[in-house]
Amino acid sequence: MSRQYDVIVVGAGNGGLAAGGITSKNGLSTLVLERHNIPGGSATSFRRGRFEFETSLHELAEVGPNPFEGTVRQLFDELGAKDVEWHFEENAFRVVLPGEGGFDATLPTGEEAFADEMERQVPGCRESVKAVFDLGRHAIEAIGYLSKGAPDPAVLQSEYADFMRIASHTTKEVLDALHMPKRAQDILVTYWCYLGAPADQLDFLYYALMLILYVQLRPAMPKMRSHEMSLALEKAIHEHGGEIWYNSEVERILVKDGKAYGVVVDGKEIYAEHIICNSHMGNALSRLLPAEEIPEKMLKLANARDIALSFVTVYLGMNRSAEELGIHDYSNFVIPCADSREQYNRCCSIEDSGYAIMNCLNTVIPESSPEGTCTLFFTTMYYGDVWKDVKPEEYKKLKIKIAGEIIENCEKALGITLKPYIEEIVIAAPPTFARYLMTPRGTPYGYQFDMWDSMMMRTMNVEAEEPIKHLRFCGACGERGDGYSSAYISGMNTGLRTVRDAKEGK
Amino acid sequence: MKYHYKRDAIKPLPIKPFLNMVKDRNQVIERAEAVMPRTEFNANILAAKLHPEIQYVRISDIKDHGDAKTFILVPDEKRGTRELAYFRAGQYISVSLDFEGGTMCKPYAIRSNPKDALGEKNNHYMITVKRNITGLASDYMLDCLKVGDELEISGPLGEFYYQKFRDEKHVVALAGGSGITPFYSMAAAIVSGIEDFDLTILYGSRTSEGILLKDELEELERKSDGRVKVVHVLSHEEKEGYEHGFLTAELIAKYAPEKYSLFICGPKPLYAFGDEQAKKLGLKRKSVRKELPGDYINPQKNEDYPAGIEGKTFRLKVHIGGKITEIQIRSDQTILQAMEASHIKAPSHCRSGECGWCHSKLLSGNVYIPQDVDGRRMADLKFGWIHPCAAYAAGDAAIEVYPVIKEQD
Repeated sequence: MSRQYDVIVVGAGNGGLAAGGITSKNGLSTLVLERHNIPGGSATSFRRGRFEFETSLHELAEVGPNPFEGTVRQLFDELGAKDVEWHFEENAFRVVLPGEGGFDATLPTGEEAFADEMERQVPGCRESVKAVFDLGRHAIEAIGYLSKGAPDPAVLQSEYADFMRIASHTTKEVLDALHMPKRAQDILVTYWCYLGAPADQLDFLYYALMLILYVQLRPAMPKMRSHEMSLALEKAIHEHGGEIWYNSEVERILVKDGKAYGVVVDGKEIYAEHIICNSHMGNALSRLLPAEEIPEKMLKLANARDIALSFVTVYLGMNRSAEELGIHDYSNFVIPCADSREQYNRCCSIEDSGYAIMNCLNTVIPESSPEGTCTLFFTTMYYGDVWKDVKPEEYKKLKIKIAGEIIENCEKALGITLKPYIEEIVIAAPPTFARYLMTPRGTPYGYQFDMWDSMMMRTMNVEAEEPIKHLRFCGACGERGDGYSSAYISGMNTGLRTVRDAKEGK
Repeated sequence: MKYHYKRDAIKPLPIKPFLNMVKDRNQVIERAEAVMPRTEFNANILAAKLHPEIQYVRISDIKDHGDAKTFILVPDEKRGTRELAYFRAGQYISVSLDFEGGTMCKPYAIRSNPKDALGEKNNHYMITVKRNITGLASDYMLDCLKVGDELEISGPLGEFYYQKFRDEKHVVALAGGSGITPFYSMAAAIVSGIEDFDLTILYGSRTSEGILLKDELEELERKSDGRVKVVHVLSHEEKEGYEHGFLTAELIAKYAPEKYSLFICGPKPLYAFGDEQAKKLGLKRKSVRKELPGDYINPQKNEDYPAGIEGKTFRLKVHIGGKITEIQIRSDQTILQAMEASHIKAPSHCRSGECGWCHSKLLSGNVYIPQDVDGRRMADLKFGWIHPCAAYAAGDAAIEVYPVIKEQD
């Protein structure tokens, strides 16, 4: 068998594009294989009538307006994918808990402004809010120290004890310790769903990092939807001499004696020194890898984890402008109850959870739809196998029922009228996501975060938990979990590790 | 660095859990089962059932309507299709054809009732194909296909269906000729209780003799409990009991209730004509839905058509599956049509610039894309991607296309 490529990347999602970009940029001959006819995976867009809808991006972290540079912007710049036009949000989020005792809080970006508004919402919480940002910065320092390798336990103990505390305790435990009032906690953890685990299950470290990145660097959106980022990265791969084959589904990953050496596409074997897999890890195990070559620990790890959440998303093209509809914020979180665990529990059934996020891109990019119109993007989520009893002939009615609930919940909570102005409506449910992503239950999020399986634990163990030689994983099942920036960075890191191995002749 | 928080506050949180994290993690993993993880759930099964990429079917029966035929398509178990995908009344399938005239995919509305696609037994689709003067494919289908023939079709596609929240409860349909087929399916779905809206079909034909599916429609109307009404409009005959003329604003106003959505399907001129009528009636854009128009014609009539290319032939280099094939392309052929005529297996579905299945990269040269069928995403324009089904060569050009069905060496 002759080697045809240095690297084969299975899947051109965010992780695969970043990985292929890094390996091709570093001189490794790279082939990216993608089963769809376009790159990006979740990161794409679609047209309906006179609208082009963002498919899945809520807001991109780690870009940063000039001169601040987040890791994602650095990655795009380094790969030469500089021609993405990013726009930045002014506010972090608006969160609305309707009803008596509820709240309606719009949190701006910028630490001081954020803390001011938190204090206005819940008097007496300012110090604890500032502490969250301080701890986030402390964590960034600690991670910088740890990433140099071979940490000194004495230094950890003396300089980074608080890092150890916040990395091993839940968001809720740390906020309680900081004596943050519960109401302030409920507002502060609004972003929890972006990581999929509620405040009593998610480590404080990751939540604080995400919050600080959004609030400091501001959330970013690409001008031409995610399709712009995906095409920019695919162009960069070509410019670095890499190849991308579309409509090319990998049927198997070839492994012999514990070492991956190629893939099968359309019945043909293609060989490479290194394989980077951007598909769901469960699918890789059950469909792509030869069963006899899978180490027991990989199976156990997959079974120890829970499949992450799935979504219903509703896309509306409106024949009124955002202004006319009374919509001023990009991210509007409508929550049925204050506590994130209770919100989570409500999402464990197919009944109306009352939970919805409504995004309006026109508030960030006014020209993202024709004048006098706007687009709205609604999201609600589900945990567990709640779609298990749905039959094909019931599916359409169920989707429409859920879409109606989401729209009405937002109309009520936000005090706006939407229904008479709907010019286009598209509803995507877990089977829609399963169709395009092929992931179990259609989850775009990989595996559920838990204290034992936090971002830090995944990162620390990433090399030990990829026991098949020359086979690495990236994307939502990679070390940083779900989310655009995480998938890009996991692809970047996986690419860099592959480049390192190739240079060392491993 | 300056800390705002009282460091004492989080001191009570122990460090020990941190020191035990790797051990704890390994214990959780060790306790798990070493079996293949489950990856197929009902969401995945529904995705496969509702959205198959290819369905293998057989023609089980053919009904002759004079200058049209109805083909009954049943799943071909031998080739791996056990049941057909359920669909929304109004959707289409794309039929793969390979004959002397070319290698191509053609979209046809599924004419049958969605409920007929369900069930273990007798599940089927119907498509009704009318002879088209310029249509090589319709000639081939009407003259050559016979009972027992095998076909490959796509899963159900398209957005031409009733949508609650967007559409009014009453739909007025403008149908011309074989454009009746998606409305036939909608009417059948209403009768079966699958769809919940009222449908008035203004159905244009040349003469009363030539009305396609006339008796079948009457039967549906009768069974519909007043929810489906068919009004025949004859352009070339005046006859009692029929409207005479075209599908005009006046005619729509005569039969439409106060609030309605207008759905249009028919030959190409009907779409522009229908738009004019909608404008006269003051209908909003959200109230007018049009079926895909199919292959573009007469691009040279457009104001922005490039000067000096009419009647010319260019060279088109097609990079496909690692090979480069050079073909001739006339300026009045879409890039897709030129590839089909050369039997290149390029992907396509809607043939109207919309669905993006043919999404391909323009490597060099210029193309002309009529604005009214430019269904590309914004970033496609920025990075040089085209939809060959709605693009013309405006000089020598090279493109890269990505075959779905690969040539086997």
